[in-house]
Amino acid sequence: MRLIIRDNVEAASRYVANYIIDRVNHFRPTPEHPFVLGLPTGSSPMGVYKILVQKYKAGEVSFRNVVTFNMDEYIGLPRDQEQSYHTFMWKNFFSHVDVLPSNVHILNGNAPNLEAECIEYEQAIKAAGGIDLFLAGIGEDGHIAFNEPGSSLASRTRVKTLAYDTIVANSRFFDDDIERVPRMALTVGVQTVLEAREVIAIVLGPRKALALQRCVEEPVNHMWTLSSLQMHPHAMTVCDENATGELRVKTVKYFKSIEKVAREAGFKQILPSKMRTGMVAPLTPPETVIHESDSPTILQPQPTTSRMLLHTAPANEYPVRSTSPDPVFDRMASRIDDLAINRAITPEPVFDRMASRIDEPGLTRRLTPQPPMATEITS
Amino acid sequence: MPSAVDIPRNGVTKFTNCRLLRAGSLVEGDLWVSSFTGKIIRSQEAFYDEYIVPDEVVNLGGRILAPGLIECQLNGAFGFNFSTLMGDMSQYGKELRDLNRKLIQTGVTSYVPTVTSQTRELYHKVLPFLGPSGHKQSAEDGAESLGAHIEGPFLDPARHGVHNINVFREAKTWEDLEECYGAENINPAGNSEPMPVKMITAAPELGNMTKLIPEITSRGIIYSIGHSGATYEDASAAVGAGATMITHLFNAMNPLHHRNPGIFGVLGLKESQPRPYYGVISDGIHLHPTTVKIAYNAHPDGFILVTDAMHMVGLPDGSYTWTNGGKTMNLVKRGTQLLLEGSNTLAGSTITLIECVSNFISWTGASIPEGLKAVTATPAAMLGLQGVKGTLDGDADADLVVLSAEKDGAAVKLVVDEVWKFGARVFKSNT
Repeated sequence: MRLIIRDNVEAASRYVANYIIDRVNHFRPTPEHPFVLGLPTGSSPMGVYKILVQKYKAGEVSFRNVVTFNMDEYIGLPRDQEQSYHTFMWKNFFSHVDVLPSNVHILNGNAPNLEAECIEYEQAIKAAGGIDLFLAGIGEDGHIAFNEPGSSLASRTRVKTLAYDTIVANSRFFDDDIERVPRMALTVGVQTVLEAREVIAIVLGPRKALALQRCVEEPVNHMWTLSSLQMHPHAMTVCDENATGELRVKTVKYFKSIEKVAREAGFKQILPSKMRTGMVAPLTPPETVIHESDSPTILQPQPTTSRMLLHTAPANEYPVRSTSPDPVFDRMASRIDDLAINRAITPEPVFDRMASRIDEPGLTRRLTPQPPMATEITS
Repeated sequence: MPSAVDIPRNGVTKFTNCRLLRAGSLVEGDLWVSSFTGKIIRSQEAFYDEYIVPDEVVNLGGRILAPGLIECQLNGAFGFNFSTLMGDMSQYGKELRDLNRKLIQTGVTSYVPTVTSQTRELYHKVLPFLGPSGHKQSAEDGAESLGAHIEGPFLDPARHGVHNINVFREAKTWEDLEECYGAENINPAGNSEPMPVKMITAAPELGNMTKLIPEITSRGIIYSIGHSGATYEDASAAVGAGATMITHLFNAMNPLHHRNPGIFGVLGLKESQPRPYYGVISDGIHLHPTTVKIAYNAHPDGFILVTDAMHMVGLPDGSYTWTNGGKTMNLVKRGTQLLLEGSNTLAGSTITLIECVSNFISWTGASIPEGLKAVTATPAAMLGLQGVKGTLDGDADADLVVLSAEKDGAAVKLVVDEVWKFGARVFKSNT
């Protein structure tokens, strides 16, 4: 994972916005070959949206051929209410740019069948060719989208109950009235995010410092779901100085130095060129195939839905579940290197009648009748 | 996956980079209007539900976008006076259409055409032309009538202004009003055809007028106190009976006296009690600027700016004849001042409504939103048109003005750059 550290919120937001614009423009999206962008809500990405809008108005980027998928939406909140994520996106982004309404996807928290809504959402992502770039925010508890602590790292779009911490945090958008915060939401899963070809998380402010530390320096852990980005081949976290408060000095220095070295050496850590420009091949969403025997025992998330990663990435399918290999039964002795022992073959047992082992011929003759075989009984 | 490039035209215009008059302040934002429905669109719903992308985007470059101005007292303009009888009344309709197309260029998108004290015959002939015209929703027709305002003839002869006292009378019964104005003009028709009269100005202390106020208001007509010698007690009784408006406050009524506050006094009622709206002419001639400020502060939510303009507005200076209640008189226009020839009697104004707003803001130090409210949201509320006129909220009529604000020290001059009616542009200044 790359960690980009900028002095302040503005600089971090500008970095992310410029990065997205650069990606979109490089991609040269067309109606047949759109750039697919995953989008978050919340206070962290506000600055990014603001700059994206400015740059759009300055003619530096167009979203006409950009397809968007949003991360989440509250359940049961009227769509056009002030706090809904539909309204957030409309006010902060969609109303200001040239994105086509038919290209916009946001989970419908008022769908009659929420389960079906989630399944359709995953299908829509696949049908769009997978997400090229997923921008994410992060909660104070390290959640990505509404994947609260303890969410499965293999989770997909689904109904999620919000953690109390999140409800309290989000009550600031509901006049600080906790009662008004919906208790549930629809959200893309961790796996849905990880399947994007590229993931960028923007982490701002001292309140996110602990979460950033857990997700960058600590192992992958479902209690800090953003840590799953460690498993992604093209993940980037962009933060401001304030958010680095809990990181080790060493960590901060390290990430700063690799950025500095790369800049001095005149190269950037960039994506494979096919991912940057997209490929104009016909689009066929790949099927998920489970290889019963070859799948790795440790989950190794890989982008799956990409039409271009079929060629570029080491693995283009994500195993839905790992399978244990079938046991091979062998002789214990074969595992021992000592040839002598290895040669000392235990003879195959010879099955004989117990009576044959007794010397007295009288007994030997007194044959115990053979028990009838099961097949003989039934026949 | 992405939608087709060919999007059918939907008549939707998006205004962007504008300062919108919303909830008493100017807020940066966008506004979507439809020329198909003639309404302001709830853009978020249109985007998510109907996949609407605007046909046209109008960048206002930071200028003000406000609801179209509403004029509550206009006697005529551009040489045409509503209180005019013509041998061929079809000519009246033609001249009225002409006026409407010119009037809208001043930023007035809807108005209440005012007929002064006239003969019974004139009312009967003229009023059917002046009824509400908005149901046709035709942007080309120019300014929309919200219904006629009859100022007279049940007025106090001692406060006649330029009205011809020979036609003044008193009303004892509702039938007296019907006889004067024509029953069909002041009774709802019961079909879709709108009733011509929207407002009546009368002196409440004369005849049985105060008792007749409920008869008037129950028919959806606004009763306005004016040209009246009413005491504070008379005026309070009228307000109690349902009067919701005062016609050109201070003019043609008793001045405020500290022991007898008169009509003005009803604005001093407790906040919890109903207080009427009131029209104020801020042309710098009818009222002293300080008086305008006092009037505003008495009850800001009821303050409505009106021009009381005569038909000479929009014409060059000079002497003009006018047949008033069967009597021909000469009116002299000099700048924005209009006098009865050979006297110092004010005969209405020749100011435009936007100039009134600029004056009001410059004199009182009120904010631009406060000034615009007095010609948009407040008159709409007075006329019972909240949510339809005078607002930029979704589903309201898309009557809009684009304004530039030129500041010169404390003075503010608002200039009408563009006018939109029912979602279509009907005027754009050359500058």
